[in-house]
Amino acid sequence: MNVQDLLKLIGVAIVVIGVALRLRTTLVVVVAALVTGLVAELPLFSHEGFFQRLPYLTKPGQTGIINTLGRAFADNRLITLFIITLPAIGLAERYGLQEQAANLIRKIRAATVGRLQIVYQLFRVLHGFMGIRLNGHPVFVRPLIFPMSVGAAQASGSTPRAAPSGSITMDDPLATASGSVPRAAPSGPITMDDPLATARGTESIERIKAANAAAENYGNFYGQNLSPVQAGILLVYGVMQGLGFTVGVWDLVKYTIPIVAASIILAIIQFTGFDRSLGKMAEGKR
Amino acid sequence: MMASIFGSVFSLDAVYVLTGVALLIFALMTFADRTNPRRVGSGCFWLTLGIIFALGSVAPHWLTGLLVLFLVALDGLGQVGRGSGETDLTAQAARAEHARRLGNRIFIPVLAIPIVTFTFALAFRWLGMDANRGALVGLGFGGLVAMFACLILTRSDARTLMNEGRRLNEAMGAVNILPQLLASLGVIFTAAGVGALIAQGIQQIIPANNLFLLVLANCLGMALFTIVMGNSFAAFPVIATGVLVPLIIKPFGVNPAMAAIITLTAGSSGTLMTPMAANFNIVPAALLNMRDQYGVIKFQFPYALTLWSFHVLLLWLLIKIS
Repeated sequence: MNVQDLLKLIGVAIVVIGVALRLRTTLVVVVAALVTGLVAELPLFSHEGFFQRLPYLTKPGQTGIINTLGRAFADNRLITLFIITLPAIGLAERYGLQEQAANLIRKIRAATVGRLQIVYQLFRVLHGFMGIRLNGHPVFVRPLIFPMSVGAAQASGSTPRAAPSGSITMDDPLATASGSVPRAAPSGPITMDDPLATARGTESIERIKAANAAAENYGNFYGQNLSPVQAGILLVYGVMQGLGFTVGVWDLVKYTIPIVAASIILAIIQFTGFDRSLGKMAEGKR
Repeated sequence: MMASIFGSVFSLDAVYVLTGVALLIFALMTFADRTNPRRVGSGCFWLTLGIIFALGSVAPHWLTGLLVLFLVALDGLGQVGRGSGETDLTAQAARAEHARRLGNRIFIPVLAIPIVTFTFALAFRWLGMDANRGALVGLGFGGLVAMFACLILTRSDARTLMNEGRRLNEAMGAVNILPQLLASLGVIFTAAGVGALIAQGIQQIIPANNLFLLVLANCLGMALFTIVMGNSFAAFPVIATGVLVPLIIKPFGVNPAMAAIITLTAGSSGTLMTPMAANFNIVPAALLNMRDQYGVIKFQFPYALTLWSFHVLLLWLLIKIS
């Protein structure tokens, strides 16, 4: 490899460093594209039309970077086609789409914390299958799944139950401020007589929070490829087409099924184990 | 005659024009949005994207390329933003009231999108046309059908409909075009020979006939790039051009759809492990008032590692048995 070859990798470096530094990602990507093209001594414009008369900007017989960018962006419009679905989803949201989804979640009757996470993950996989994309952390996890998990833990005795004197302090500003929270959740310190039990109780609450966020991510990441209208599938379709392979969007969906299955089975194993470890912590308390 | 009319109405270009028109309407509404301090820049952004959508198939590529640079310059200068809109509690109470009144019927318009998409794909296949194209055309018309279904169900008006679409679109913002830009980056990397270069580098370490090690390098590269960038969509074009296509798909004659989608989700394991994916791992920890901001990542780590290993084995086995 000679020096000029190595210089071509500067585009990869620009993307990695730029994105890692949280610079504006769109700008980072386009700068990386332009710099990579220039280092590879590609001209800015193709040698055609009035560009022929401009010095330095074109080279006979080579496609310009800007031309390639324009063609690739136009060819990949399909990736951004989801915009056409936004008016319907937006109007449905105005008429209570998320509230109704939340009503469905509240109907979940799961005996244990772990099972509740599994059901919630499946619910999010279903979202993916229906082609709905959303960030479930603020919409479902914080206002619903977390308080429901704490409720399930208390019901099954794996977390200290509220003593009659109301010993669970509700010092969580989010829980009390948000109108959509059905009941206040004990996310703050739990005051109990036994300090050891308090520490264990807090510890299990912290672990439950982590499990809630994880169930959301597992369901979201692996479920979203189950629909050909999702950005991941369309990105793969577009990139592979750019590399000379026309892949079927339904084939992409088909081959993601074993991955989705594995992601669910693995989650069942992890969350079942989680139930056991919560139970052990509760037993240690007695 | 009938066939040609059918062909031009139910075509990908028609769907692109439809999306372009939606973006133009969003842009006009943004220009008029006095609650948005960046309404001129934002309006120009969505207007330009709308033009690219509507005219991308006929405009010269250099012009589209320059328009893309304009889009990115607007975003880079921080000129794309959103209005404050209505976020008051009365709207929240109204939504809860609507939810009670409409019940599960509110899901009908949303479900219309995948149903129409699927129907179009089947119809295209039945007519002997490309089912892929059918799915994409169906997505566009599914969006349209869903709009009408939603209007009928809610008895709302077209202005509210488009304004709600604009709200969602602006909430996502300029990042909307990122996957499309990343795919374009992949094309330019290929044109500049970056993919070939990475492939060459890996071949100096791994023998070209050792399928297992190549699959391992492919999945490891995908996960590592995702961990550093916090985004598997950004990592995919680099790994696909540099490793997957030149070292695995081409020499071994592998099914490209199978190898590509498994490579993408091998990156998702990286997303589960990295604080760079703040939206998924760090923000939720804050949202839940967790004491340990890395608590979510720690919980996900064993799961991510196991599932990643499964990706390596699955990809290797599927290539072996095919």
